[in-house]
Amino acid sequence: MRAFRAILIAIWVLQTAAGAAEPTPKEAPAPEEQKGSVVRVNSTNQAFDFSRPWSKAAPFSRRGLGVLIDGNNILVTAELVANSDYIELERADGGEKTTATVQVIDYEANLATLRSTNPKFLDGMQPLETTTDVKTGDELSVLQLESNGTPVSTKALVTTVEVGKYALEDSGYLMFRMSCPLQFRENSFTLPIVKGNKLAAFLMRYDSRSQTIDAIASPVIQHFLVESQHDPYRGFPRAGLGFSPTRDPQLRRYLKLRDADGGVYVNQVDQNGPAAKAGVKEGDVLVAIDDKQVDPDGNYLHPIYGKLSITHLTTTEVYSGQSVVMTVVRNGERQQLHVELFRRPIEDYAVEPYTIGKHPHYYILGGLVFQELTRQYLREWGANWLKDAPQRLVYYDRFQSDLLPAKRKIVFLSQILPTEDTVGYEQLSNLVVSKLNGRDILSLDDFAAAAKNPVAGFHKIEFEEDPHEIYLDAKQVEEGSDQLQKTY
Amino acid sequence: MIRRVVFVTFFIFIAAHAFAQAPKPVEIRKSLVRITATSQEPDYKVPWNPGAMSVGVGAGFVIDGDRIMTNAHVVSNARFIVVEKEDDPQHYPATVQFVGHDCDLAVLRVLDKGFFQNTRPLSTGGIPAIESPVSVYGYPIGGERLSVTRGIISRIDFQTYTHSGIDSHLAVQIDAAINPGNSGGPVMQDGKVVGVAFQGYSGDVAQNVGYMIPTPVIRRFLKDISNGRYDGYVDLSLTYFKLVNPAERRGLGLPDNEQGVMVSSVSSAGCSFGILQQGDVLLTIDNLPIASDGFVQLDGERVEMPEIVERKFKGDKVKFDILRNKTKQTVEMQLSGNWPYLIQANRYDTPPRFVLFGGLVFQPLSKNFMDAYQVDDMRLRYFYNFFVTDEIFKSHPEVIVLSNILPDPVNAYLSDLRFQIVDDINDKKIRTLEDMAAAFAQKSDYYVIHFVGSVRPAVLERSAVERARDRIIGNYNVQREQYVEGGLK
Repeated sequence: MRAFRAILIAIWVLQTAAGAAEPTPKEAPAPEEQKGSVVRVNSTNQAFDFSRPWSKAAPFSRRGLGVLIDGNNILVTAELVANSDYIELERADGGEKTTATVQVIDYEANLATLRSTNPKFLDGMQPLETTTDVKTGDELSVLQLESNGTPVSTKALVTTVEVGKYALEDSGYLMFRMSCPLQFRENSFTLPIVKGNKLAAFLMRYDSRSQTIDAIASPVIQHFLVESQHDPYRGFPRAGLGFSPTRDPQLRRYLKLRDADGGVYVNQVDQNGPAAKAGVKEGDVLVAIDDKQVDPDGNYLHPIYGKLSITHLTTTEVYSGQSVVMTVVRNGERQQLHVELFRRPIEDYAVEPYTIGKHPHYYILGGLVFQELTRQYLREWGANWLKDAPQRLVYYDRFQSDLLPAKRKIVFLSQILPTEDTVGYEQLSNLVVSKLNGRDILSLDDFAAAAKNPVAGFHKIEFEEDPHEIYLDAKQVEEGSDQLQKTY
Repeated sequence: MIRRVVFVTFFIFIAAHAFAQAPKPVEIRKSLVRITATSQEPDYKVPWNPGAMSVGVGAGFVIDGDRIMTNAHVVSNARFIVVEKEDDPQHYPATVQFVGHDCDLAVLRVLDKGFFQNTRPLSTGGIPAIESPVSVYGYPIGGERLSVTRGIISRIDFQTYTHSGIDSHLAVQIDAAINPGNSGGPVMQDGKVVGVAFQGYSGDVAQNVGYMIPTPVIRRFLKDISNGRYDGYVDLSLTYFKLVNPAERRGLGLPDNEQGVMVSSVSSAGCSFGILQQGDVLLTIDNLPIASDGFVQLDGERVEMPEIVERKFKGDKVKFDILRNKTKQTVEMQLSGNWPYLIQANRYDTPPRFVLFGGLVFQPLSKNFMDAYQVDDMRLRYFYNFFVTDEIFKSHPEVIVLSNILPDPVNAYLSDLRFQIVDDINDKKIRTLEDMAAAFAQKSDYYVIHFVGSVRPAVLERSAVERARDRIIGNYNVQREQYVEGGLK
């Protein structure tokens, strides 16, 4: 098995723009008022090693710029401080340092707030307000610091405003795409982008070849900051439905849709999700959310940004606990459904889509290592994990909502630590467990409980696939557990 | 590990000049045959196309009954076959009488019986001993005429036969050079055929590793066809687990005597279904004890248990002593093939099956399909890889895929449905390509196609499809709109 450091995505590091070295006229010293709002953030991170769940991978460091938002709170991207062991703040003007802790972190929206451990450290700095007034064609400024602390600002032209993929595969939020010739400087994560003297976006990805920026848009930042005031932090809600376009005139005639209705075909509804709870059904045609008409491609008209995916309406324009009215056409009739929006907790997924900042669960029984399946585990196979990782596990992850009942987790044998007990089992790996000692296994807790009750002196482990059943001697397992820990 | 095997027969080397002197006649000249086959490889991406032509050269040899034996891959997809023999300028047209794609062997007939005058049929010997010398005859690249290479027997083992890509049989490794054009040629020892040269590694992977089909496989093929039909290999259609672990042995109630393997799974499409079950311990096969590593002692040799079944034929019986729930039992079963496996085997000599409707091309999932399209779709890959193990064949004996869309106004909004698996049409479940053709033949105002795992249908109006039909056929030069014959089952 090829082990890779668990990282969020492959392309978030700024690359040196070799050849773009000639000075660009778009670069200029930053205006005075922004100097006092940014601070260097150096984070030492250490990801968990999902292929050896008892250990952590080698530490690495990331540097970025944080923005003072109020009092003692610094805003950064979540990527910068994901799996952090140690966070250091460094003032741009003087170079003094202090440590900081993570206040609120949202990996889906890729944002986090940090708090300085020294309350006086940020004295004299000016908090930055945010602005959502950004249009296609606007010129914004990307802030960077020279190594001597001098701020530099680079002009960036907003080319697109759309809902796009964030750091994780499943999360899409509003994004500003910009065209910008950016030079590499030591701060590679989290660069603030300002309009005038207000924060407009956060740089999330930069592609040095096409010189384009994908940035977290200010409405997402504002949503995060407002939600951060709520205890507990509830995250960005989701409607819990998937849809496909209804442009096809044959489909529209078959569904008896009027052309004026627009609407999208509800293709998938999450079990126990907000849409499901409100009574939205697969096969409904969603024609409006509140007073916003939904066009056949799933867009609505936003007063500032123009055509936007309706995803923005149900994730960012509203907060958890608030409701929207969805108008659906079902069997030719219009119905209005009140959908109370909330975020589905990550623990609720059969296969967690991401596992950051916490230890993977595992259980070792006589040299056999059992884990609960997470996507983070599959990512250990590298960028090509969809093809390279064990296919049955990938299939479970990909189609979990079809395949698995709510609350069911996948417990699987991830690897073998060879001992006398495991002779003949060396080749087994990545097998999904169905039963242990006759008991159905729906979680690692079930597994741990069943491991306490061997049957007739044996642990009988049953798998969903070949070899379907293996045995361990319960007494030997108990005696061998100390030795195991010493050897491995 | 990447295994690159060449058994290329597709080189024709044109000699610049004839040799001034003929080589010294050897006995083999009376038996060796040079085979030139013109073949057409099916085009799975444009299934109505006849496919690209290629010409290949291989070897063969005369066997009893005025027949020629060669490799299946030498004559696969052949449209026209010509055979020549040494010392005879004439080219004789030949036809395939029997072909076994699972064992890569074929028998040819020559229309003109005069061909066999002055030929000498070869007979087969046994399995040669390791380290004993052999000679390989054929027409490999490097010249036009008969070539001989010599080597020794390096290894005798089960190998995947790359022609089908899925079957494993006994194969013998030799260190004589086997090159493109050697395919089908005899490997001789003491005047008898001990093997048919058939595959090897490309030179950039391994040196001097060539393989021949040994005589047990050859004899089995000849016996199988002796009733006028090739039935092919039979299979227990089960998987087993070696019982090496002491705790596992005790858990299953076995003594510590290094005997027995555990049945891991039994395919519902095979002959063991209903007779053996998961968890049974196989103790003996036809009264031969099965060791805990799955080997049995046969004719003084340790061979893997399936070798017993390898030598049997369709309808033959096999007997097991088993331990079920710690009680001894004896079971017997009548052997048959296992069709679901064939989804992962290369197919030859048959046109690609498909149905075209409204510019949508539907094809059953197969090895050739996956090779042609290199699909990334996760669900499709799951259906392919787990078709046998997860018994997907029970609900989908054929997995019908929307494989291609010939763009036309009638299907302008359906492109994102490519590579989806058809579940039903107008609420009728689609289990085979025949079901598909029948559903489209039924008159209906709308054809509502649902795909597996998705509620959004593709909707085609009959009137729109009919209007588009001639346009699509003309624009895309469609030679025929469906070919449904010849399913796997």
